[in-house]
Amino acid sequence: MSDTISRRNFLKLSGLSAAAAVLTGCGPAARYVTRRPYYEMPEYAVLGESTYFATTCIECPAGCGLIMRTFEGRAIKAEGNPAHPVNHGKLCSRGLTGVQGLYNPDRIQRPGKRARRGNPTLEPLDWDTALGVVREALNGAGAGVAFYLGLAPDHLYDLVLELTQAIGAPPPVRFGALGMFEARATLVEAVRQVFGEARFPYFDLAGADVVVSFGANFLETWLSPVAYTRGFSQFRRTDGKKRGYLISFEARRSLTSGVADEWLPVPPGTEGQVALALGSLLQSRGWKVPLGAGQVDVEASAAAAGISMERLEQLADRIARAEHPLFLPGGQALAHAGGLVAARNILLLNLAAGNMGRPGGIFLSPSRPDSGSLRDVQALIEQMRAGKVETLFIHGANPVFELPPALGFTEALANVPRVISFASFPDETALQSDYVLPDHTPLESWGYQRTLAGSDRMIFSSLQPVVVPLYDTRATADVLLSAGKLPYNDEVTFLQSKLATLLNEPGVTVEATEIATFWARYLQAGGWWTQQAGLTTPTNQPDLQVEMAQGAAAPEGQFRLITYPTHLGDGSGANRPWLQETPSPSTTVMWNTWVEVHPQLAEKLGLKDDDVVRVTSPSGSIEAVVYLFPAIRPDTVAIPFGQGHTALGRWAEGRGANPAVLLGAQLNEAGDLAYGDVLVTLSPTGRRRPLSRLESRAGVYGEH
Amino acid sequence: MKKTLPWWLRPWVRVTAGLIVLILLGGAVGGIYLTQTVPQQPIQFPHNFHVGAGIPCLYCHPGAQWGPVAGLPSTQKCWGCHQQVAKTKTSPELQKLVAYVEKGEGIPWVPVFIQPEFVHFNHRPHVAAGVACETCHGDMKKVTVAQPIPRQNMGWCLSCHAKQAPEKWTRLSDCSLCHY
Repeated sequence: MSDTISRRNFLKLSGLSAAAAVLTGCGPAARYVTRRPYYEMPEYAVLGESTYFATTCIECPAGCGLIMRTFEGRAIKAEGNPAHPVNHGKLCSRGLTGVQGLYNPDRIQRPGKRARRGNPTLEPLDWDTALGVVREALNGAGAGVAFYLGLAPDHLYDLVLELTQAIGAPPPVRFGALGMFEARATLVEAVRQVFGEARFPYFDLAGADVVVSFGANFLETWLSPVAYTRGFSQFRRTDGKKRGYLISFEARRSLTSGVADEWLPVPPGTEGQVALALGSLLQSRGWKVPLGAGQVDVEASAAAAGISMERLEQLADRIARAEHPLFLPGGQALAHAGGLVAARNILLLNLAAGNMGRPGGIFLSPSRPDSGSLRDVQALIEQMRAGKVETLFIHGANPVFELPPALGFTEALANVPRVISFASFPDETALQSDYVLPDHTPLESWGYQRTLAGSDRMIFSSLQPVVVPLYDTRATADVLLSAGKLPYNDEVTFLQSKLATLLNEPGVTVEATEIATFWARYLQAGGWWTQQAGLTTPTNQPDLQVEMAQGAAAPEGQFRLITYPTHLGDGSGANRPWLQETPSPSTTVMWNTWVEVHPQLAEKLGLKDDDVVRVTSPSGSIEAVVYLFPAIRPDTVAIPFGQGHTALGRWAEGRGANPAVLLGAQLNEAGDLAYGDVLVTLSPTGRRRPLSRLESRAGVYGEH
Repeated sequence: MKKTLPWWLRPWVRVTAGLIVLILLGGAVGGIYLTQTVPQQPIQFPHNFHVGAGIPCLYCHPGAQWGPVAGLPSTQKCWGCHQQVAKTKTSPELQKLVAYVEKGEGIPWVPVFIQPEFVHFNHRPHVAAGVACETCHGDMKKVTVAQPIPRQNMGWCLSCHAKQAPEKWTRLSDCSLCHY
């Protein structure tokens, strides 16, 4: 203590200040709070207690089971349904943000008409007038009506299919960006050629001991990411079994390659050749690989893929020693001119491994995939351009954003006299529509999903409203049924008539003899599925051979472009701040579009971290920020998909760039976009724009 | 040489400090008082009339028999009867109800029988055990707008719990019964 202030006085003063602080600052908050009770309370509601509803997530077509916690009529929290065969209680980041779709302030709240396409203001329309427009469109010439549907929900596809048959219109075109990136049509076509049935394959990751992934980013978005992530965790468990060993062939280290035991960055497009070379090496190790007549030049294939023969031999040894080797044909390997051959090669390796229908092997999903290829979309665009489409209905998809502009969808749209969108959000396609008749968001909707690529059994996963619709929206199924073209009163009648075929089935979760009981139990359980896991065993062994697939190195000065979907999915997740704020797992970047460039390439081009660079392909060009990424081939650059919206609300608009601009219109044999063959050039703009990222930049490349 | 006092012992410093403390204290007491007063209810609801007309408490507060919270009536609950009551058209107080019905809004009631957030009170076991509403809430026949009853504290809870059967006392006196 100093001379001027004694210990006693110091304590007195501090006591006084503490008392003053407590008295003034730490008083209780207001004791009485105004409550906002119900205007009309539902009978099931118990005040102060949560009500839980089982439904299905349709943020992507995987269709995970949801248990939504609701409190006094508001959806609070999404969790996985523990009983659901796809996700077993787990959920991905997109499913968790479902509530941000429901409560999104940018939702379209009532039907509207646009005086001029592209004008963001909608003139309000009452539903009677809106239904009149739909009725008039459906009463017109049948062939002049076209439907463009997204990959979910399945019940609406079934309804529209019946509707188009009833009015003599062409069947709906069903396409989405996620399907484009996993090259669904190619995968399904290859399965058809190899196993005789056009079905989704189901790979039993949990039972395998060596998995060879050819560009399958199954931990991110591939087919059914939650199901495969769960399978992967089982695959890696060591309780009483061998720890699974993952080998990944992919030009860029995705999250999946990042957890692989071996990551081999092969040039995009050479995956089919790698499969061929592996097949040849495995044949010499006693496998019965159906190799082509000509001698396979393993060394040439290995050289094209940039893998040493020694390494390839080691891999073949490991695979040959494995009890349950499994080969995954991912989208990155299939989206090339030779993608179908690559897919076949990879599936034939599974055949040679004897993987059909055994644990750790390959099965076929029971339901039809029912999604189209980009070739179907192209055919529709041709029809539109020729003026043969009078009314185009669009639901669940955003083609103006998702499709490469080189296909000319937006220009063809100008030739369609009447465009009706069912969008819940003011996306790019809704902006180019004459009428917007908003559907309920998934958490307010009825429906079912029946094609679940990640399900190990037959399933109808149910959707039911967990809250009363917030706005003056209407179910698209009801809007279409109002035209009176089909013998169903409303959406629920339609759903029940479809589900009636499932009555009196033994060994299922919902056993009932009449529809009312079935319906109640089906909604409560979250769907109908068989008690025992069981899928079709692929048996057909046609006379197919592993072939040479195309694949060439990029010319000097040009780089191969990898475009990959992130947790923003098909781009519709860009209006969720939670998803925007979620860092990319490999770069930790948020809220923007970046282009991953290898440090060596960056040095050659004189690019630094955070430089804005112009990426140009024959189809167009975009600007993005350079992210120096050592885990990518130096002859390849990568851009994530999902940003670059010009519409879709406050969190999505004017952020990043849309790499779809760079993708051409070149299709592979199965009609999927060969987006993996796109070549780009990079040119600096001289500007810099620091990316928002979670990682520290200090000392990474000695720059900051 | 004049002896100098340290600055904090000089009279004017002490008087000023005292005044500041008094002002702060007064402000704090006033502030706390304001947080503890019941705000105005949106409708001056006459409990006495409704209970006197023979309407059971659980008709408007049905949550008490099912769950933790008794609940406050929704607009439609009031309107169910009042649309058939002649006085609804004439009484100025009931015009407020009509306004909520027309706007389609819930009535922003202010619950007055409340416990602090660290207490988990549950109506259901009390109603199931046959405790009458007026045991805790008083005789609502004599009350118009509901007013909080002071000193409904832990001792008050325990005084009743202690009167229960001895085999129940172990559970009824457990801290975690209400504080969890």
